[in-house]
Amino acid sequence: MKRTIYVIAEHDDGNISRITWELFAFAKELGDKKAFPIEFLILGDDINGMAKDIAGATGKKVNAVHLSSLNYYSSQLYISALEAFFLGLKPAFICIGHTARGTDFAPGLGVRLKAGNITAVRGFSDDEERLSFIRLIENGRRMAYVSPLTDTVILNIQPGVYKPIKYFPSSPGPIFKHHMELESESTCFKGIKPTGRSTRGLTEAEVMVAVGNGIGEGEGLDHIYRLADIFPKSAVAGSRIVCDRGLLAYGHQVGITGATVSPSLYIACGISGSSQHLAGMSDTEFIVAINTDADAPIMKVADVCVQEDMTEFIPMVIDVFTKSLSNDKEE
Amino acid sequence: MYWIYLSKREVKMKILVCIKPVKKQEKREDGSDFYSEDIHMNRFDEYALEEALQIRETMGKTTVDALTLGPKYAEQVLKRGIGMGADRGIHLLKEDDPFRGPYYTAFLIAEYAKDKSYDLILSGVMSEDLMQGQVGPMLGEMLSMNCATAVITTRIFSNFSTVYVERELEGGVREKWELTLPALLTIQTGVNRPRYPALSQLLRASNQKMEVIKGERLGSPLARQVVTNTAVPDKQRRGSTLQGSSEEKAEALVKIFLEKGFL
Repeated sequence: MKRTIYVIAEHDDGNISRITWELFAFAKELGDKKAFPIEFLILGDDINGMAKDIAGATGKKVNAVHLSSLNYYSSQLYISALEAFFLGLKPAFICIGHTARGTDFAPGLGVRLKAGNITAVRGFSDDEERLSFIRLIENGRRMAYVSPLTDTVILNIQPGVYKPIKYFPSSPGPIFKHHMELESESTCFKGIKPTGRSTRGLTEAEVMVAVGNGIGEGEGLDHIYRLADIFPKSAVAGSRIVCDRGLLAYGHQVGITGATVSPSLYIACGISGSSQHLAGMSDTEFIVAINTDADAPIMKVADVCVQEDMTEFIPMVIDVFTKSLSNDKEE
Repeated sequence: MYWIYLSKREVKMKILVCIKPVKKQEKREDGSDFYSEDIHMNRFDEYALEEALQIRETMGKTTVDALTLGPKYAEQVLKRGIGMGADRGIHLLKEDDPFRGPYYTAFLIAEYAKDKSYDLILSGVMSEDLMQGQVGPMLGEMLSMNCATAVITTRIFSNFSTVYVERELEGGVREKWELTLPALLTIQTGVNRPRYPALSQLLRASNQKMEVIKGERLGSPLARQVVTNTAVPDKQRRGSTLQGSSEEKAEALVKIFLEKGFL
């Protein structure tokens, strides 16, 4: 029986977010495998323009769910509106971004629809006639294959794994408009605070020396700065946990809730490489990872892996470089 | 720190903090992984508990219950919770099953909590081991509570009926919300600095009886997912591992930097 894969578009301030096109890429792969059709859903108060864009870029049917109370995202309204939309339908899969918004409403939606929920999905496998979805566990050190047991499955897809696609087929998909009147009675949106931290120093740097929890109590922080100093146009960065612990200001944080950087060189010192951190620096041209743990996830994305204790190794590197400078002078 | 007894009439806010017991992953000498007996509080839940304790200190007339789900060893996280200052510990006793699925876990906690009239339920935004971020918002929906995830700031209004929160989005941008209580919040790291348990508190904790509820009494919903396999991910880049002594590796690394023009 053909059942539909729904993609819930994410948008902000009138713009369709990049994750929406990544969701399309995922849905296409899944749809091709299961021979299920794809439909889009977009919710909000001013969505006609965006609905047209999606229909034009994908050729798929777009359900534009209009709520005048939804001028800004609200998990309460999303869950109630989607429950109403899906009433009587039997969606096979509902694809949502694994983003701050998507992970906010997807679990509650699963409870309402009596659906299964799998988050941070990076792919799927159809081996042995059993569909399973792949996600990372244990700070990225292992993958788990999760098989749903429900008729409807809600999937939050990890950003940055699927390449965004737009087709622009010769004829755009049809747009179906739905109107709903729902009020959020007991939650009140009060506005946005832009980030107070200045991360300009990070985004402009060509070389980044980043420190993670391997720093220990922080005595080695001086060496991190000295290492950064030997490179031109460099900056010191940190993983979230180092900033949470107060060793670096949050303006140095690289990761999903911090800065996204793409320098020429990223030296990750004592960083395990959680998905949240990798998402902020995986576009780096050349990654060097220094870690005592050979199985740390960062080692899988590094171009050069050094299995050493950063607090002892970094001073050695600085020494070697300084000596080579004085050797040059002698000649 | 001292322990205050509040009569039922005086309590204006009941807070529940859900804490997951996490096993430490260790390596044997041959390089294989194993889970040690070292149980600790999920780091993210520690921030949630600290937030609850700070709310109690600010507002007064508040009780903080710590709850955990797991086998006998899970009580260690409750003892630490009480050591940090929670008033009571609640242990939902259930055999270890790391992959029972977030729906199942949320269901069991909801069964316990549904008739306890909690005003505020806090948990960490995700667990260290499974990193799903689902149990919190599922629990909120099951209990029909207003819910906000990835909360980085909380402030209870003086009338004890509304909470102001800021949610953290990508790039550090924040959303500001006011939610009517009862509410469930999942707490992001960095929201506060979790305290160390005081020795006197830990002694009280070791003597204090926890409320223990056998998991069977909470029912067992149909499983919504099953984990069929786990594996180590493949390498994503054609990276090389430097060999030799530490000094040799340092030399090799500087050579690479020079050759590639970084230095």
